Amino acid sequence: MRQTRVLLADDHTLIRAGLRLVIDREPEFTVVGEAADGRQAVALAESLKPDIVVMDVGMPGLNGIEACRQIRENLPDTQVVMLSMHSDEGYVLRALKAGARAYLLKDSAEADLARAIRAASEGKSFFSPAVGKVLLEDYMRTLQRTGGEDSYELLSPREREILQLVAEGKSSKEIAGLLNLSAHTVETHRARVMQKLNLHGIPELTLYAVRKGIIS
Amino acid sequence: MVRRAPERDNKGSFWAALAMPMAPEKSNLPAEDAEWPSPRLRWVLLGTFLALLALIFISGAAATRTLREMHRQEQDARRALAERAQTLSKLYVSIEIYNLDIGRYLGYPPAKADPAVRQQLDRLTTEIESQLDGYPGDRKPEEARLLKSFQELYRRHLALYESALDAPLPPQARGEILTMRAQLVDGSGQLNAWNGQQLHSSDEALLAQFSRLQASLTGSLSIALGAGLLLVFASMAYILRLERQTRNRYRELAQSRHELERLSSRLVDAQEEERRSISRELHDEVGQSLGALLVDLGRLSTNLPADTSEIRERIGRMKSLAERTVATVRDIALLLRPSMLDDLGLVAALEWQGREVSRRSQMEVAVESANVSDDLPDEYKICVYRLVQEALNNAVRHSRARTAKVRVAGSAGGIEIEVNDDGQGFDPQRARGLGILGMEERVKRLGGSLAVKSAPGQGTVVKAELPLPVTAGTSA
Repeated sequence: MRQTRVLLADDHTLIRAGLRLVIDREPEFTVVGEAADGRQAVALAESLKPDIVVMDVGMPGLNGIEACRQIRENLPDTQVVMLSMHSDEGYVLRALKAGARAYLLKDSAEADLARAIRAASEGKSFFSPAVGKVLLEDYMRTLQRTGGEDSYELLSPREREILQLVAEGKSSKEIAGLLNLSAHTVETHRARVMQKLNLHGIPELTLYAVRKGIIS
Repeated sequence: MVRRAPERDNKGSFWAALAMPMAPEKSNLPAEDAEWPSPRLRWVLLGTFLALLALIFISGAAATRTLREMHRQEQDARRALAERAQTLSKLYVSIEIYNLDIGRYLGYPPAKADPAVRQQLDRLTTEIESQLDGYPGDRKPEEARLLKSFQELYRRHLALYESALDAPLPPQARGEILTMRAQLVDGSGQLNAWNGQQLHSSDEALLAQFSRLQASLTGSLSIALGAGLLLVFASMAYILRLERQTRNRYRELAQSRHELERLSSRLVDAQEEERRSISRELHDEVGQSLGALLVDLGRLSTNLPADTSEIRERIGRMKSLAERTVATVRDIALLLRPSMLDDLGLVAALEWQGREVSRRSQMEVAVESANVSDDLPDEYKICVYRLVQEALNNAVRHSRARTAKVRVAGSAGGIEIEVNDDGQGFDPQRARGLGILGMEERVKRLGGSLAVKSAPGQGTVVKAELPLPVTAGTSA
C-alpha cells in the first residue's frame, strides 16, 4: 500500500516533534520533511511534492495561510491541514479561502490529526469539533441580533444532501455520479443552495456546513 | 473574568508609569520659586510710591501755609504803618491847631479872659495827650525812644506855652518856641521815616522768607523727582525681570510638555513592544511546552495497558488541566498582542475582536469596513486596533450598551474609525478618563485626531481620523 507523504510546517520544534510522534504511530503515514516557517514550507513542498502539508497558521516570515495559498496554487494535488489555536470564523474562513481542506485546533491535534490527514488525503474536509461549536454559537447570535431566521429550513432534502457533499469537498461530477443525476442538475441545485443561504463561494459554504454541524 | 485581569493590571502600571514624570516636575517647583521676585519687593515699590506722594503733598501744604502766613504778615505790617501814619498825622494836625490857637490867643489879650478859649485849649491838649498815649504799635526800643523824645519835646513846648498864658513871654522865648516847633516837625518826620523804614525791613523779611520757601520747595521737588525717577527705574527693572522669568517659564513649560509628549509616545511604543515580547514569550515558550506536554500525555494514555484505568483517569485530569492552562495562556497572549493582526490583517482582527466581545459580554458588536488596505504599517494597525479595543471595553464596562458598531473606512489620505454604542452615555466635558486620554495619545502621535461625542442617555460615538504617510499603500 502506498504511504501518505506528510510535510510538517511549524515554527516550534517541540510541536513538530509531538506531531511527528503522532503521525509515526500510523503505519500508512510517513513524514517526509519538516519546515520551520512559511517560506521553507513552500520551498519544501515544491521539491518534495507531499500529499499532505500539516501547517501551523502563525509562523514568522510567511504565515501559514499565505503559505497554504501558494502551495495550493502551485500543487493542486497537495492538500493542506491547517493547525491553529483559534476557532474563530476569521481564521477558518481565510484558511478555507486559501484552499485548506482541514482545520484543526492545536488543543485537539493529538487526538484528531490522524483523522484529519486521512480525510484530507481522500479529498474530504475535516474540522475539529470545537470549531463547529464556536462557529455555530457566533452564527446563532448573529441571527438573534439581526432577527433573521435560520435559512437551513428553507432547503429541500435533496439540496441538503448536495450541500453536505459539496462541503465535504466533492466535485459536481462526483456528486452527480453518487446521486445518479446529471452534472448540470447538481450545478443547478448547488446554485440554489448558495442563493437560499446567501453564500458566496465554496469556502463560505463549507464554513456554513461546519457551523451547522453537517460536516466535521 | 480571569481573561481581562492581565490587561487591566498592565494598563494600571502603564498609566502609573505615564503619570510618574509629572511628579519630579512638581517637586522642582519650590526650588524655582526662589528665583521668583519676592513679594517684599512689591511692597517696597508700593511703599516708595506712597511716600513719594506724601512728600509732594506735605511740601505743597507747607508751602501754601507759609504763603498764607507771609501774606498775613505783610497785611499786618501795612496796617500798622497805615495806623501809625494816620495817628501821626492827626497828632501833627492837633499840635498845629493848638499852636495856631495859642498863637492867636497870646496875640489877642482879651481872649485870655474867655473861659471858652481856655476850654478849647485844654480839650486840644487832652486830645493830643490821648493821641500820644494811643500811638499804635509794639513799641520797639527805637520807636519808643523816638516817641518819648517827641513827647518830651511836646511837653516842654506845652509847658512853655502854659507859662506864657500867665505872664508875657520873654522875647528869647519866642525864638525858643519857634525852634521847638521846628523840632516837633522834625520829630514827627523822624517817626514817619522810622515807620517807612519798618515797612521796608518787613518787606525785606518777607522777601527772605519767600526765598527760603522757594528753596525748600525746590529741594522737596527735586527729592520727589529723584525718587520718582528711581521708582520708575526700579519698576521697570522689576517688570523686565518678571517678563524674563515669564518667558523662561513659558519656554520651560513648552519644553516639558514636549518632553512629556515624547515620553508618552515612547511609553506607548515601549508598552506595545513589551506586550509583543511577553506575548511571544508566552506563546513560544509556555504555550509550546504545554502543547508538547499535551501530546506526550496523550501518547502516554494511548500506550497504557488496558487494565490501568486509575492511571488513565489521572492522566486525563492532568491533560484537562494542561488544556485549560493552554487556553488561559493563549488568551493572555492574545490580549497582549492579537496574533490576528499579523496573521490575518487589520480588518479580520477587528472582526475577530467584535466577535470576542460579543461572546464574552452582553453587548453585540457589528464590524463594518471599507477600503482598508491590508499592508498598513504596523503602528497604524495596532493604533486602530487598540483604539477600537479601548472604545469597546469602555462601552462594555461603563455604558451598559446592548449593541455597538465599529466602522473603519480607508480614504485617499487616511483612515476613519468610528465606534458608537447605544449605551447610557456620559458627559465628555466632565468625565474624561485615562482610557480616552490613552486613545488620544495613540492617535495624536500618528498625527491624527480623536473626538468623543456623548451625552447622558445618548450613547457614545468615538471618532478618529488617522492621516496615512504618503508611502503607505492606500490601494484597497
